[in-house]
Amino acid sequence: MTAVALDGIVLGLQFGILGVGLTLVYGLGGIVNLAHGQMAVLAAIVTARLIDSGSPAVVAAFVGVVAVSVLGVVLDLTLMRPVYRQQGEHRVLLGLLLMLGVGFVIDGLLEWRYPIEALSLRFQGDPIPVLGVAMRRGSLVASAISVAAGGVLVMLLRWTTFGRATRSVIQDETGARLCGINPAAVRTVVFGVSGALAGLVAITVAMTRPVVSTDGVNLTTFGLIVAVVGGLGSVPGAFLAGIILGVVNTISAFYIGSYVSTILLLLAAATTLLLRPRGLLGIG
Amino acid sequence: MTDELLIVDSLSAGYLGEDVVHDVSLTVAAGEVVAVIGSNGSGKSTMLQSVCGLLAPSGGSVRFDGVELAGVKAHRIARSGLVYVPAERHLFPHMSVRENLFLGAYPTRPSADQLGMVYRVFPRLEERTGQLAGTLSGGEQQMLAVGRALMAGPRLLILDEPSTGLSPILASEAYAALVELRRDGLTVLVAEQQVPLALDLADRGYVLDRGRIELTGTSSQLAADEGVQRAYLGV
Repeated sequence: MTAVALDGIVLGLQFGILGVGLTLVYGLGGIVNLAHGQMAVLAAIVTARLIDSGSPAVVAAFVGVVAVSVLGVVLDLTLMRPVYRQQGEHRVLLGLLLMLGVGFVIDGLLEWRYPIEALSLRFQGDPIPVLGVAMRRGSLVASAISVAAGGVLVMLLRWTTFGRATRSVIQDETGARLCGINPAAVRTVVFGVSGALAGLVAITVAMTRPVVSTDGVNLTTFGLIVAVVGGLGSVPGAFLAGIILGVVNTISAFYIGSYVSTILLLLAAATTLLLRPRGLLGIG
Repeated sequence: MTDELLIVDSLSAGYLGEDVVHDVSLTVAAGEVVAVIGSNGSGKSTMLQSVCGLLAPSGGSVRFDGVELAGVKAHRIARSGLVYVPAERHLFPHMSVRENLFLGAYPTRPSADQLGMVYRVFPRLEERTGQLAGTLSGGEQQMLAVGRALMAGPRLLILDEPSTGLSPILASEAYAALVELRRDGLTVLVAEQQVPLALDLADRGYVLDRGRIELTGTSSQLAADEGVQRAYLGV
């Protein structure tokens, strides 16, 4: 039981980072990034290709993450421009549809060019005991990276001028403009950060199991569930929801089966929304 | 006239192609306090929003310190020293008083002096420094909105209905703080429907009615005007 719970936390931390990337972009500009998981997989495949061609894993992973971050910035500056000109519901729907299309394109390209490519990052050495459970080194490194990324992100948002500006745009965009903050510039930077986070998730997942080129849709779905349960726009909410859902998912997958566990996950999400329509820590 | 800080010339503005403000011209000189008075729906907010860049004017020009502002984005206008405090305040509800004030100084990190200056004008904000803005009372929120604007070191402070949602006593207190700022030499343009408050504070004023300037003069001239008395002063 402890072993399953610990595995759940490992997965939950990855879910958390996945949800945070989605929730930030949604909170800032109303874009539901339905290509988030596909962007993550793209980072994994770029990394895998580089490793195949002889790059050291650390360098390859770094390039993979940066590449997807740049993709995020480019998408924000091009495809999302007409979306930001819309208001309210129109903006959400148009953004959702365009990003769905981006997801299809990435999926299609990966399946066409690299159908059997997979990223698997292994660590040499014996398992390390944690609370009496022998944990694989990959799981521990993945969790350490997730925790570090989450911690750095929270600190940046809380204590830096740019982080404060980011939160101000989420809370009141007009107020932010009146303070001299350019919401468009904040959105562009954060879309890049969100892309980097997606890439980081793929890298950490690859430390626990192989990431294959068709994993995108699943990752997007999990990220979306986490972001909604945590409360769209809330970073701490996404972390909390990620860990809870990771544990729920792993326990149910272990005792019942992985197909049922996804249904349970959706049920947990739906229940949360019925009880707390704005999510666990939703703002607004 | 070389010392005019703000020159609004034949400004028209509105929503969805329908002008609400027609051909409005007014000026504010450095060091002056100018009031725009008018009833609810007279176009005061629309006019101010098109001055500060939240709304694109449909015609005319707005010059701030010699620079044309029509078509300039709101955040750039704010950074150039024209700072607007809307009637709805637009505070950041899930941030503390202190963080709201910090953001007023964006993009720089404010010095202790800047914070101290705002806390001197509004000692109440210092008492509430850690409290979330969304949980403040209406009067405190108004103080915070003005305080946040002061953090930018504005050359021109534009206030839209600072008395909105405040009891008469709190509204008078808000205006007392503005009198203090005026003494420090701050240039202010204030729109207000609580006309006595505004005319007490201002050097001069404009009467806006159905989107047009109907009358202008010194505060004492306006207060003595029969039409103004009948319409706004309840005499």
